[in-house]
Amino acid sequence: MQPGYALVKEQLFFRKELIERLPWLIRLRWAVVAFGFAGCGAVYLFRQWLPLPLMVLLSGVLCYNLLFLLIWRRLSPFKSQGMHSDSDPSFIRTQDILRFNVFAHAQISLDLFALCLAIWYSGGICSPLALFVIFHIILTGILLPPVSCYLYGVLVSLALGGLVWLQQGAHSPTFPFWFQDVILPHDGNPVEIIVRYAALATAVLITAFLVTTLKLSLRTKGRELLRLSKALDASNTKLTALYEMVKEMGICTESKALMDSATRRAAGIMGVKACSIKLLDEQQQKLRFASTYGLSEDYIQSKESIDIQKSPINRKIIDGAVYAIGHIEERDYFAYPEDIRKEGIASLICLPLRVEKRVFGVFCVYSEAAASFTESDVQFFMLMADLTALEIEKLNMQLNRIWFLQKAAHQLRSPLHAVISMLKILQKGYLGAMNVKQEDTVLRCEKRLELLDGQVNDLLSLSIRRTALNPDALHRVHIPEVLRVLSSLFESQARARTIDIIFRIDENLPAVMATDRLLDDLLTNLISNALKYTPPGGKVTVCLTRNEAGGIRLEVTDTGIGIPEQDFSRLFSEFYRAENAKDFSENGTGLGLVIVKETLDQLKGTISVSSRIGEGSTFVCLLPA
Amino acid sequence: MGGVADILVIDDDKDLVESMRIILESRQYGVRVAYNGKQGYEKIEAKIPDLIILDVMMATDTDGFDLAYKLKHQPEHQNIPIIMATSFPQKMAEEGPEKFQHILGESWPISHFIEKPIDPEDLLIVIEKILTEHKMETTQLSA
Repeated sequence: MQPGYALVKEQLFFRKELIERLPWLIRLRWAVVAFGFAGCGAVYLFRQWLPLPLMVLLSGVLCYNLLFLLIWRRLSPFKSQGMHSDSDPSFIRTQDILRFNVFAHAQISLDLFALCLAIWYSGGICSPLALFVIFHIILTGILLPPVSCYLYGVLVSLALGGLVWLQQGAHSPTFPFWFQDVILPHDGNPVEIIVRYAALATAVLITAFLVTTLKLSLRTKGRELLRLSKALDASNTKLTALYEMVKEMGICTESKALMDSATRRAAGIMGVKACSIKLLDEQQQKLRFASTYGLSEDYIQSKESIDIQKSPINRKIIDGAVYAIGHIEERDYFAYPEDIRKEGIASLICLPLRVEKRVFGVFCVYSEAAASFTESDVQFFMLMADLTALEIEKLNMQLNRIWFLQKAAHQLRSPLHAVISMLKILQKGYLGAMNVKQEDTVLRCEKRLELLDGQVNDLLSLSIRRTALNPDALHRVHIPEVLRVLSSLFESQARARTIDIIFRIDENLPAVMATDRLLDDLLTNLISNALKYTPPGGKVTVCLTRNEAGGIRLEVTDTGIGIPEQDFSRLFSEFYRAENAKDFSENGTGLGLVIVKETLDQLKGTISVSSRIGEGSTFVCLLPA
Repeated sequence: MGGVADILVIDDDKDLVESMRIILESRQYGVRVAYNGKQGYEKIEAKIPDLIILDVMMATDTDGFDLAYKLKHQPEHQNIPIIMATSFPQKMAEEGPEKFQHILGESWPISHFIEKPIDPEDLLIVIEKILTEHKMETTQLSA
């Protein structure tokens, strides 16, 4: 923002007060006139006599107030803009301010004149109305600049002096009314009158001084408040943007996407030309761009690998500096300042990406303006870089953990697979025929190993799911489509066990928020279980219908061995298998239903079971649409 | 079909390689073997095989993928059908570590993905299918 513009905006902010007070003054005048007439009425009531000059004066005030109202309606910036008086004052043009000032002066001068007349007609300097000049000065102090306030203070004192002079001179007396003989002597002795005048004039001047001092102090505080609120506003905007940035980084499941999000957001938040993340190689000698935003391809390629020994600014960061600001004019920081200048960069700031003391990369922002980074900018960048580093580290740890689990599973399964493959060669007779007992033994070996393989698979699947910091991003998936892909597999399993499998799928089912993989896990485990625990000749039915809540109801019913009631509560516990299940089938990891339950948790679905021993079981899952 | 095709098996598990040799030789396929990506590439350079059966994790985690990727970018090798054999279930390899992501997708050169343990009959069916398809393609190209 241009400083000149900021100043104008600030002045307008304070002048808004003047503009708001102008109609208030008009409203106040209506009240004064009303009270004045009421006072005259009271005089008539008590003394059966009307103070006519005062009533004429009040009528005059009434007239000019009407005129002011009309003028205000034409001048009012709020009305013409169709806005309320608490709107942003920035739309008030500077040239309008002059008109408002003139309008304010006109009102105050006329009021002063009217007040002097009222004082004159109500007993001169001895009139109780004389005290009202104080209010006048206060009003002036509120509305107009300090100089004007003093000016009016002096004017009021002079006017009162004039009254005293008139009162004492040939033009005396004033028009005395109800207090002429009752309360105040209008023709009191000159000394008394002069003392009264001196006291009043002093009070006027002191009031002018107090009001202006108070106003100046308030204005200074107001200005400070305005500055603070602007700073607060700016930092609030930045922090909100930073929060959005962290949130976006938090849902990334790939390092590249995370860093791209960081550079793009950082450049946007700080309003700079470009941003980059460079990561250190394993030898801690070279930096490579891992993500850039706003930098040209040529520049990125020319700096594909940065030797930190040759780049002072990067070396400073790797060596532990909290930040380093580079100005392109100070050439000593850069090995190739021409490249940077060509890119349109005038200054840049580099910060470490680190977790605790370990620096693993450099976070850079590039500005087209020279020396454009203030201390608060630097502080903010540091916060941003630290949060980005934490997010990168968090994701890497998660990816490494998953990678380790997968690798461990692979190492466990490789020998298993080799043995199973060899057993299959034996069993299928590739190495010559076996007798029945040999074949049976080999088959048993094979089955046990396949079970172990399945167990490793399920364990891996569960561990990865529990390791994942971010659940898979859900999107709209049609369950029937996923089921269709899997159905041939289930049909062949059912055929092999002479079980009838029936799919009943309603037309026009809504899509659910899920992923293909989660639904695959859910369907495979539920249906395989049903097939596994149903004796040959039985029936498995899979129904997909719409439930009352508009979601999907998945029902898998079998005519299998059933689940004993006492096992219901432990059905979804790891490695748990009901006794009758163990007796019926050796194959079972005790993890299938755990995977089903955790999948449903992720899909915000529910599951319920009903079963009768020897008759079969029904699993009902409800999934929100 | 069979008999004439030259199949190169690249896998660091010698027991598995021997199993595959037994299965393939039962159909009179010519079998050559290699135990890592580098050895495999040397054998391919020596003589282009009709089909490669390739393990994923060998000398390095991505040895198999690296070799497949390299072959894909060499005009003389990019048409060799490859069967990728892995102990990772396929869906895990697709969704898993990002190291694989850049290789999968558009430029994916693999003809088929099989999960270990290898079922002899399934393997033979897949091989036959791929060789037939490949033969048809090359015939069409030369015609």
